[in-house]
Amino acid sequence: MKELKYSEILKLNKEIGTNLKSNPYNIIVLSNITVHQIKEILEYSLRSEGINANVEIGDYDNIVQDSKKYQDSNVAIIFLELCNIIDGLQFKIELLNDDQLDEILEKTKSEMELVLKNLEKTSLVLINKFTSLHFCSFNIRKNNLEELVDQLNKYLENKISVNVRLVDLEKVIANVGVGNSLDLRYYYSSKALYTIAFFKAYAEYIRPFIMSANGKAKKALIFDCDNTLWKNILGEDGFDNIEMSSRTKDGAVFSEIQAMALALNKQGILIGLCSKNNPGDVDEVIETHPDMQLRDEHITINKSNWSDKVANLKEITQELNIGLDSLVFVDDSSFEVNLIREHLPEITVLQVPERLYEYPKMLRENIGLFYNFSFTAEDRKKIEIYKQQVKRETVKKEFTDIEDYLASLELKMTIHLDDESIIPRMSQMSQKTNQFNLTTKRYTEGDVKNFIENDTSKVIVFSVADKFGESGVTGLCIINFHDETRSAEIDTLLMSCRIIGRNIEYAFINYIIDMMKGRKVNIVRAKYIKTQKNEQVKEFYDKCSFSLTESCDSVRNYTLDINNYKPRQLNYIEVVNGKENGRANKECDVSSI
Amino acid sequence: MEKKMEERIKNVMSAVFEVSVDKINDNASPDTIESWDSLKHMNLIIALEEEFDVEFSESETVELLSFKLILIILNDHSVV
Repeated sequence: MKELKYSEILKLNKEIGTNLKSNPYNIIVLSNITVHQIKEILEYSLRSEGINANVEIGDYDNIVQDSKKYQDSNVAIIFLELCNIIDGLQFKIELLNDDQLDEILEKTKSEMELVLKNLEKTSLVLINKFTSLHFCSFNIRKNNLEELVDQLNKYLENKISVNVRLVDLEKVIANVGVGNSLDLRYYYSSKALYTIAFFKAYAEYIRPFIMSANGKAKKALIFDCDNTLWKNILGEDGFDNIEMSSRTKDGAVFSEIQAMALALNKQGILIGLCSKNNPGDVDEVIETHPDMQLRDEHITINKSNWSDKVANLKEITQELNIGLDSLVFVDDSSFEVNLIREHLPEITVLQVPERLYEYPKMLRENIGLFYNFSFTAEDRKKIEIYKQQVKRETVKKEFTDIEDYLASLELKMTIHLDDESIIPRMSQMSQKTNQFNLTTKRYTEGDVKNFIENDTSKVIVFSVADKFGESGVTGLCIINFHDETRSAEIDTLLMSCRIIGRNIEYAFINYIIDMMKGRKVNIVRAKYIKTQKNEQVKEFYDKCSFSLTESCDSVRNYTLDINNYKPRQLNYIEVVNGKENGRANKECDVSSI
Repeated sequence: MEKKMEERIKNVMSAVFEVSVDKINDNASPDTIESWDSLKHMNLIIALEEEFDVEFSESETVELLSFKLILIILNDHSVV
């Protein structure tokens, strides 16, 4: 977006806007200065990634009242600028006494309290951290404005919560440069402090928050090998002449790249290779080269062969069971980069820069692609879980009867009801699960918390274990009850793809129906909403003896008379109750729910 | 192939005011273009300055109130 002119962004934004058919994603920007130019820039930065963003700007300097008016937006962005807390604060502040300074601090804090209270139920609130960098970027002696900034930011740190995140404005300003961020001409005439260049950088900086909230965080980083993970070409220069350590200046760059990949892997990002090489040659490097940091345990998938990369990358997504749009691919060759960009446009392709010393910087600048709100225990365990899956697949081949095989697994499902301690994982699952997902509704932590606190809804998750190990929290169901009509509807039902194939979903729905019986529900309603990725669960509810009441191309509606429910017999899956409402609950009588 | 200045101006105006290029005739002004308010005027100045790599003086920014005037003022800046 940096290279695009403002008028080009305006034009492209309008064009993409008319073509996007998905529901609008509403963002409200509340500010005490003029920020109207952010609208099209933020919209474009999101629309170009497939999010039908609709940005509204609140009334000038009307943040508190507007925070109430717009609390139902998907995202609220707060642009509270010190320079206009009182007009000209940036210079007036140096003339104030301690009492007056205190008054300003307290006034600002209480305004923020009101705003945050109004936005309590808003899915996502992004608040800019305060900064004095606009006016104090080169002074030596710390002044009153900088003191105020410190105190206000300390206060803001305590406001981070399920739905509130802080935006480090100074990083955006540093990225563009103080001089290039500020439009002094329009600041003095119209209180429009920031330049187009600033807004472009700001939009790119906050984009990962919104991508993650929409389930679009990237899951896997795939590397080419030659001149991408090491200097030189393995097949031509030989094992001893590839460089990836600080012993050589170019090797140092690749060493840094590999360390970055390792760090991402630790956070649960899958690492893979896709390279044109003799498979044995690359394996030899992974297993025995002293300078190689990415080893077998870090590399989830390795496609080193002579096939074309388009086919290889497609296979990678199939074997990892993720979408093309979850992949980031890095290669040095313009030929390969252009080929993939043309044939697999959903993949984000990064090219190793011509100036090799800029490669680590380039990768760092793109780390946001993988940003995911809640970094959970499941992410840490993910690689181990993948390896367990390989073991299961091997054992499976020894059984001829699938039911015997499943019985041999010693499956145990633990149910957690309205458990606040799992909120981050619940939100993450709603954002990342695409295949076994009946309605694909994306929820932030704030949304999940609202469901849990609501008496008329219930959030149920399960974790699964078998004799090979724990798969962790891998299923989610959100139900809305209508006690007056003795009915309930299943808003969300999803399961992680890594536990598909063990009939867990049927044990889960048995539990859910039992629970509803306990609450005296007679009629259950459910839906299947079609997406590009969830075809496999199109007839799930039919298989659970629900009745299809109407269907069209994209939605299938079901009801179930609870007395007619026919549970599948699954006595090889043990179901136990975990915590309810965060308290351990050993013997949970379902009829009391 | 360099686009003519008139075409470039109209393209910028079309993008800023969100109207199609053919709706921008030589008489285009805040009277004929509904969305041309003070906020959009600010955006217009910024977009024109970027497109033609010029900087307008304060008196010029208040005069840039029609397609004809924009053309005249840009010519004053000897824009290529």
